[in-house]
Amino acid sequence: MRTIVIASAALLLTARAAFAAGTPVVPAFVEETKDSGIGSVYTGEWQYMVGGGAAAFDCNGDGFGDVLIAGGGMPATFYVNKSVKGGQLKFAKQQSGLEFDAMTGAYPLDIDGDGIMDVVVLRVGENIVMRGKGDCRFTRANEAWGFAGGDGWSTAYAATWEQGNQWPTIAIGNYIDRTQELEPWGSCTPNVMQRPRPGGRGFAAPIELKPSHCPLSMLFTDWNNSGTPDLRMANDREYYEGGQEQLWQMRPGQPPRLYTKADGWAYLRIWGMGIAGYDLDGDGFQEYAITSMADNKLQTLKEPPQDGSPPRPTYKDVAWPKGVTAHRPFTGGDLKPSTAWHTDFQDVNNDGLADLFIAKGNVSEMPDFAMKDPNNLLVQGKDGKFIEMADKAGVASTGTSRGAALADFNLDGLIDMLVVNRNAPAQIWRNVTQGAGNWIEVKLREPGGNVNAIGAMVEVKTELGRQTREVVSGGGHVSGQSGWVHFGIGGARTAQVRVRWPGGDWSKPYAVNANQFAIFDRTAETATAWQPPR
Amino acid sequence: MMMTRRSALKGVAAAALSGLTGGPARAGDAAAGGGILRQWYKVVLMLVRHTATYSPPVASRAFAYLGVAAYQAVASGSTSLVPLAGQLNGLKALPPRDPLKRYSDAVIAHCVMASAVKTFFGNTGPTGQRVMAAAEKKLKGDALKGLPDDVIGASLAYGETLKAAIVDWSKDDGGAVIENMGFPMEYPVSKEPGRWNPTSPIRMQQFPLLPTWGLNRTFAMPSGTSCGLPPPPAYSEDPNSAFMRQAREVHEVTAHLTPEQIAIARFWSDDPMLSFTPPGHWIAIAHDLLADKNAGLDETAEVMMRLGVAMADGFIGCWNAKFRYDYVRPVTVIRKLIDAKWEPLLITPPFPEYPSGHSTESGAAAAVLTSIYGDNFAFTDSTHARDGLGERTFESFNAAAGEAGISRLYGGIHFRPAIEQGLAQGRCIAQFAIGLRTRRPA
Repeated sequence: MRTIVIASAALLLTARAAFAAGTPVVPAFVEETKDSGIGSVYTGEWQYMVGGGAAAFDCNGDGFGDVLIAGGGMPATFYVNKSVKGGQLKFAKQQSGLEFDAMTGAYPLDIDGDGIMDVVVLRVGENIVMRGKGDCRFTRANEAWGFAGGDGWSTAYAATWEQGNQWPTIAIGNYIDRTQELEPWGSCTPNVMQRPRPGGRGFAAPIELKPSHCPLSMLFTDWNNSGTPDLRMANDREYYEGGQEQLWQMRPGQPPRLYTKADGWAYLRIWGMGIAGYDLDGDGFQEYAITSMADNKLQTLKEPPQDGSPPRPTYKDVAWPKGVTAHRPFTGGDLKPSTAWHTDFQDVNNDGLADLFIAKGNVSEMPDFAMKDPNNLLVQGKDGKFIEMADKAGVASTGTSRGAALADFNLDGLIDMLVVNRNAPAQIWRNVTQGAGNWIEVKLREPGGNVNAIGAMVEVKTELGRQTREVVSGGGHVSGQSGWVHFGIGGARTAQVRVRWPGGDWSKPYAVNANQFAIFDRTAETATAWQPPR
Repeated sequence: MMMTRRSALKGVAAAALSGLTGGPARAGDAAAGGGILRQWYKVVLMLVRHTATYSPPVASRAFAYLGVAAYQAVASGSTSLVPLAGQLNGLKALPPRDPLKRYSDAVIAHCVMASAVKTFFGNTGPTGQRVMAAAEKKLKGDALKGLPDDVIGASLAYGETLKAAIVDWSKDDGGAVIENMGFPMEYPVSKEPGRWNPTSPIRMQQFPLLPTWGLNRTFAMPSGTSCGLPPPPAYSEDPNSAFMRQAREVHEVTAHLTPEQIAIARFWSDDPMLSFTPPGHWIAIAHDLLADKNAGLDETAEVMMRLGVAMADGFIGCWNAKFRYDYVRPVTVIRKLIDAKWEPLLITPPFPEYPSGHSTESGAAAAVLTSIYGDNFAFTDSTHARDGLGERTFESFNAAAGEAGISRLYGGIHFRPAIEQGLAQGRCIAQFAIGLRTRRPA
């Protein structure tokens, strides 16, 4: 054991009592949009029917997640987090240099590894990488870093550090050719990937990832525990011809290669719109939630190997038996099929079981789909099945939702929720769940370019069992976050935390006491306790 | 699509219509109108693919009404074409043109299509709406070019009047309102062996698609029962029974599919929302055929009308039989009785098995096209070229229909009797569309 972080005995006892019952604690949220200072609207015409993302990240070093919200046809808005620990959610609008128009979404990524967060801005038009200057100020870096902004309709992003590189590889997903008024269908424009410039900082020339099938989400993820993430894409069947869902094999120095039927990749054609991964069954392989319309998928390996051999990328859909099809509104009078966008696994009641959030909203006055389409908060029970609790939790908004960020905005150990709506103000809720379990939140640091250890696996063991979460940059729906990685640990008083650092093996376990923030440095022998400054 | 014409056009007179009542106002009106009408069909095919309610039966209905609308746009001012009022069920006399005004058939055809497409696809998504607006703008410009204002005004007004009458006629046929993408909210799924059971993990597909479609008002045939079918093999677990023989055939064939058979299955898969659907596939074949021969407006309209009517009636008849027999799908039988891990090549459609819908449609479509262009009309079908499925060449429409039928066995979604009886049912149903009187005696 390397470090013991001190915990509060009173909180531990409360949580242990609450989790004796064995039924999921109903999460509770209070909407604080009106007084939060958040007032951003994602709006615009046809080319903003998709998109509507948010990025949550700490850009001033206070540990609180600041927020950038895309505005579509209007300028994006940046908000600095003024909340205090456990208090109401408070944000202040602040000029940051990120206030671009035509923004569909954004992802935080410390591209140059200087410890100051940068931002990748996705737009209808030129994409822009913005270098963080500190204190939440940003400056354009396309030219300095060789980033090819293009002139597409960008709707997906993912980043990874390939083995041995000090600079990230960034993939950008592009939607249809927006100039094609008469024949937009089948006009998916090329997705692109930029690897590091050989031997140096900055990006090499982009390569096209063809065939391109109009992704609305992409994610570098180590689906097979090989230590090398591959690139998963959720593609919108509305626009591709001859397309399907895709998984690109990534090998250092090699061109990306599509997994094929011969590899075991199963043919799936859906309105792919969002991706989130989490190892729900503890078998060491992640499950993937893929959002769509009228149906959502929860994919698990069809034949997970039992003998340590590498798996084949053949997935089966377990959304129905797990209770996460979320195919139509679960409340209200509108029973038409749903339209699902951002999705994320987070443990909102700290019971040690990841829950699933899905943002819902009609594309644009499509009368065959629900217009009043409540967002889902599917809370996982001990049997591995999910129970809809968005209404009970107070987050069943029927706004036309798109992107979202589920993060602990007031650093009280409970996951809060920011949701971006189309043609209506974004909404933010504070998690005030009574009887929630204990928690830990961790940050990773490592030397070199990948300072936030994108691609690491964090394993948390408690008396409840094992949880594993991959540190990623991508996925969801044009929304990304960087910062504290949150785990609920139920009534446990302590957790054993291991990290599989990018390109490395599993670390020895660190002991972290409940209800603490801890920073793990790859080069350090100990984890460092951290406390919110206010 | 490359088209080789091997037989003379039957039943369609050489394009000779003036296009204008009271005197021609533009040379080549009929030729221009044919091109404009075909461009509208290209738009419609895209909208069928990209509008969520457009399952194959719903698509066939739209093709029928649009075909009738286009045909009437021409017939209303023609001395050689016979109006369809009184020949199609529920279609009363349509509004006449004003004999004192001058018209352009091409403008009327454009207008009636533009307006009707907006009605039948009013529920499409934002991109479809944008496409419809762009198409109307472009094609209207093409249609109006060089015409005097009085012709334009009269033709656009008549097109709207005609469209309104067609839409009024469509409202009470039983297929006008599609909810929940065609899946009922409740349905008594039978527990009897041999009956249809859900085959999909998708929640809304636990009940079958459009269970009352077979009761819809038909177009040219008297009713959905007009071309009834013998019952399929009775359920039996006896290895020597006809029921088990047909199941074993699907299992064995799909276990040894050749690359050619896989290509055939995929080529005719025609999945909703990923293709033009089965009736759309045949509309695409006809479209390319007509474009290849630069057919005029009257020929284009008549072919599309007959094809649309036959395929819409085809689905009504097919669905009538499907829900009469409520027959089990191969995947259910084979997994239960032969091979628990069996996977069909194609996704099993969420409704009863017998007869095969694509077979009925293809039988009907091939019969109509054969009646017009003959039985030895070789053609190359490139409907799915943009989807990477290549082209396929056929010696005749019937050969294509036969391949479409057997593709369902290769795909593992139908037994052979459903294919054979489906093709026969389609041919039977098509006779009503073929029998429509469209040409006045010379």
